Amino acid sequence: MTGVFESPKSRINAAMISQHVNRPVCFVGRVEKVRSERVLSDSLITLIDIRLKCLAAVNNLSLDEELSGIVEVIGMVSNKGTIMAAAYTMFREEKGISFDLELYNEALKVIQDFSQYYPFGATSG
Amino acid sequence: MTVTLSEGAIELLIKGSEVSNPVLQCVNIRKIDGGSGPVRFRLMMSDGLHTMSSFMLSTQLNYLAEQSLVAPNCVCTVKRSVTNVLKDGRPVVIILDMEVIKPADQVGGKIGDPTPYVEGQSKPPQPAPAPAPSSRPLQPQNGSDGHTNRGPSRDFGRKPMNAPNTPSGTSKIVPIASLNPYQSKWTIRARVTNKSAIRTWSNSRGDGKLFSMEIVDESGEIRVTGFNQEVDKFYSIIEQGKVYYISKGSLKIANKQYTSLKNDYEMTLNGESTIIPCEDSQDVPMVQCDFVAIADLEAREKDAIVDVIGVCKSVEDVTRITTKNSREVSKRNIQLMDMSGRVIQVTMWGNEAETFDGSGQPILAIKGARLSDFGGRSLSTLYSSTLMINPDIPEAYKLRGWYDKEGHALDGQSMTEMRGGGGGGPTNWKTLADVKNEHLGHGDKADYFTCIGTIVYMRKENCLYQACPSKDCNKKVVDQQNGMFRCEKCDKEFPDFKYRLMLSANIADFGDNQWVTCFQDSAETLLGQKADYIGQLKESNEAAFDEVFQHANFNTFVFRNRVKLETYNDESRIKVTVMEAKPVDHKEYSKRLIMNIRKAAAQ
Repeated sequence: MTGVFESPKSRINAAMISQHVNRPVCFVGRVEKVRSERVLSDSLITLIDIRLKCLAAVNNLSLDEELSGIVEVIGMVSNKGTIMAAAYTMFREEKGISFDLELYNEALKVIQDFSQYYPFGATSG
Repeated sequence: MTVTLSEGAIELLIKGSEVSNPVLQCVNIRKIDGGSGPVRFRLMMSDGLHTMSSFMLSTQLNYLAEQSLVAPNCVCTVKRSVTNVLKDGRPVVIILDMEVIKPADQVGGKIGDPTPYVEGQSKPPQPAPAPAPSSRPLQPQNGSDGHTNRGPSRDFGRKPMNAPNTPSGTSKIVPIASLNPYQSKWTIRARVTNKSAIRTWSNSRGDGKLFSMEIVDESGEIRVTGFNQEVDKFYSIIEQGKVYYISKGSLKIANKQYTSLKNDYEMTLNGESTIIPCEDSQDVPMVQCDFVAIADLEAREKDAIVDVIGVCKSVEDVTRITTKNSREVSKRNIQLMDMSGRVIQVTMWGNEAETFDGSGQPILAIKGARLSDFGGRSLSTLYSSTLMINPDIPEAYKLRGWYDKEGHALDGQSMTEMRGGGGGGPTNWKTLADVKNEHLGHGDKADYFTCIGTIVYMRKENCLYQACPSKDCNKKVVDQQNGMFRCEKCDKEFPDFKYRLMLSANIADFGDNQWVTCFQDSAETLLGQKADYIGQLKESNEAAFDEVFQHANFNTFVFRNRVKLETYNDESRIKVTVMEAKPVDHKEYSKRLIMNIRKAAAQ
């Protein structure tokens, strides 16, 4: 799993997940449900299973931490179309301004449509 | 000259059918003293077939009778009339406009052999035909007759509790659209869409108070005003958004200057009026709005009263201003955008400005805003405007859907031009490289532009000056070296001074950098500290003073700048002055960038 941190990651939304199987990705979404694994949805309201099971092992993070709101995870896409997360960051509301997922998604589309100008997937996450 | 009467017209008139300019002969005319009301004239008219005595002259036509222009035997064209049915079923035709085409003295006598028209022959639903109409006063026409009114209104008071939808008997529910001044026996069922606060007046004729409200039903809308006692009686029971039975107000011609409602009349509550809440209100429409697309506002006249609906794109803070008659009011500007993709500035006042919550970019519908040509085109709410946030109407949902899907990415073109000096939003976006390449400021007039810039350096030296302490004078003072400071402008000496900022900063974006000058407010924004505090630090704590500058470095702001070529000693230099610096709204900024990228890609 440590490979995720060093290798370049593509920033994706749920619609792109099938093209990134077995590749490291960065995904931002809203926590919809918390089961044994965590489920995030992006602005397309597609639910994606994000498995954070590995977290405890890798980062010694407690799984009991309250996970809510907007979360960015980096991890590997499994062949079941879920993301095995290696790390996550919660985007807390800043000065009452909440993260605009739809706007983020618009930006993602720009990055995708003009990937020649945004070589993030090849360099960094 | 012979005239032909419009035979059969009377029957049609009584049935309420459209009759185009019927020609009738006046058979008789009688004056009715209407108690407290004005004098009315009642006519018996003939169409050659029938006569009918239930014609009333509307009061503005009284002169026709008073000057004997209308007299027995004369022949007239009735140009406009209204047929009402009184509570006992008798019809009455109110003549609103008529012309005498042949005076009485030119007509030999009665034309034809008309017989009194008796109703009911051809139409069954009239329970009480109009017999012997010649001598009966038209009671309900003289609306203040106590005995005809009180009974029914008491009756009516019980009614909504039992059967709100089927009011029986006399006070039948009529649509607002059918109200007119010539009918007093009615009840409407309408929703209050706007209720004003109580206003008071005081002039040479005395003082008093009033309130007004706007009510709507499926047929139309009308403005209702109550004075003094009616304020006490009704104000507390009226709730905006609720439905009421209202009966017996006085109707008069509306003063269009004060209202945007589509009704020729307005209603004044009087001592006879009743207002009763109606529980079953689902079928009464909420508000009737005739929304104008923002893009179409350009074509409208100044001071037009319009209804608009839009997404509240951005909200400015409340400011307090002092009006001409030195009253202090709150005002707030918002930017409203609709599906036409255009944006307009709306100014709200008073309480509405203070309480408005524009967070989450709500849909805002405004009924009765005034269009102004201030700064191109802008809107201002009025005392009578109704503001609805996220109203439950189809237009709002449509707009919300559009905005969430595509509208939010649009950088709508504003109908309101931003003023050069004052507040307003950013318009003329430039990168610093653009400013140089386009030679901004080289013209006769200064140019203004807005940019995103990051502070890369600020000159600590000479960033503060000692200024005149008197209010509104910020002139530099001269240290007299005797503990006194002299202001040349005020021509006075002061024992103290105030520190003011004049900060030179170098700002950069991705393409270029630029020296700019910031005065007091913008410099304080950049440094994040007040001028007097910075002055104190400079005198007492050099390290902390440096810290302020260190801390402020590499912060990014939205700068609104004035640029002008200035010449000193034959040397021309571009001078950029910061008019306003404010923190970057990253959401807005991102949207603009995305839109620009899409635009560039489409070319």
